[in-house]
Amino acid sequence: MPYVVEPRDPLTQSEGVVAGYAQTASRWPGQPLARRAPGAAELSGPARLERRLPLGRSDLAGRAPRRAIGQLIEIRARVADEDGTPLAGAMVEIWHCNAAGKYIHPNDANDAPEDPNFYGAARLLTGESGAITLRTVKPGAYPVPDSGGWWRPPHVHFSVWGRVWLSRLVTQMFFPGEPLNEHDAILNAVRDPAARSRCIARLVPKDHILVYEYQMVVRGRNAALAM
Amino acid sequence: MRLVPTAEMTLGPFFPPEFAAGANDLTGQVPGEVIEITGRVTQLDGRALDNVVIEIWQADPQGRYDNPDFLGWGRAATDAAGTYRFKTVKPGAPYINFLILYSGLMRQLQTRMYFDRGEADERLVAIREGASRCRFDIRLRGDGETPFFGD
Repeated sequence: MPYVVEPRDPLTQSEGVVAGYAQTASRWPGQPLARRAPGAAELSGPARLERRLPLGRSDLAGRAPRRAIGQLIEIRARVADEDGTPLAGAMVEIWHCNAAGKYIHPNDANDAPEDPNFYGAARLLTGESGAITLRTVKPGAYPVPDSGGWWRPPHVHFSVWGRVWLSRLVTQMFFPGEPLNEHDAILNAVRDPAARSRCIARLVPKDHILVYEYQMVVRGRNAALAM
Repeated sequence: MRLVPTAEMTLGPFFPPEFAAGANDLTGQVPGEVIEITGRVTQLDGRALDNVVIEIWQADPQGRYDNPDFLGWGRAATDAAGTYRFKTVKPGAPYINFLILYSGLMRQLQTRMYFDRGEADERLVAIREGASRCRFDIRLRGDGETPFFGD
């Protein structure tokens, strides 16, 4: 299928040095990014990644007596391209901190407690409708070290692959109604308010669980439809 | 219907260790010249960076990107000395695509590692260290900064 990926829109995609996020000034390139004409290497991409990245965990909440501490939630996330076509069989990696704001990572120096019944990393494949369902607990907020009082709002990290190399998407999902959303240097680096609001999941309460619906759109569209 | 691509956001500092491990060996799929690619990732002040995630995408030894028997994708993370390592087969193409994800990068950075100078910027050409070893250091910002692509 001929596929096109257009340059990023600076209103909906953030980049560069961001006020309040000190590391960006040491790490984002000082030189302008070069333009290149995408070729075969950019407009192709990995298929069946589960050959290299083993699938694992679709339930991070667990069951009694080993249930993770925190508010039980279900995340229903869908992956589509710019045409709205769902991506079936696409790999989705998800990671988030526990309900107290602590990650499983050894570099996390936050003194929040670990939860022996929570391991915050899942790797899934989307179904026919391009969707995954993850049962988990709602992550907590946590302070960013040496930042002068920046607290990250509760958020969930996502890593997904689209149809081609340039479709790679790594992002974060936020929760509605969180006061810290208004002050987050990462969420608010997205300048377009509508694009920002699409990063916030929609709450759909069900009988037994709080469901959060979220859609991710990967870059690229069918060239025949793009006319 | 036209949907707008989701805003990319930083990987953050806490990418799960199990996700970063064990995906940096692309050999054993098809015959080819086995090579090792290593490099060091540094920031503005020259400090080496720990747990930077690097993903690569390359052609098979015949230059094909759609060979069902060869998954030309790999991932490595830097160690505390800022060093990453891939083992792969030399592609039948002039370069390998590199993608960098890290805390302090609002979104992915894209670059390329070339095997020979040709038309390429000299900072994108791997340094040969012996018959089967290539070195490709990545300087995110500052003197000798690696060129990145903004597509």
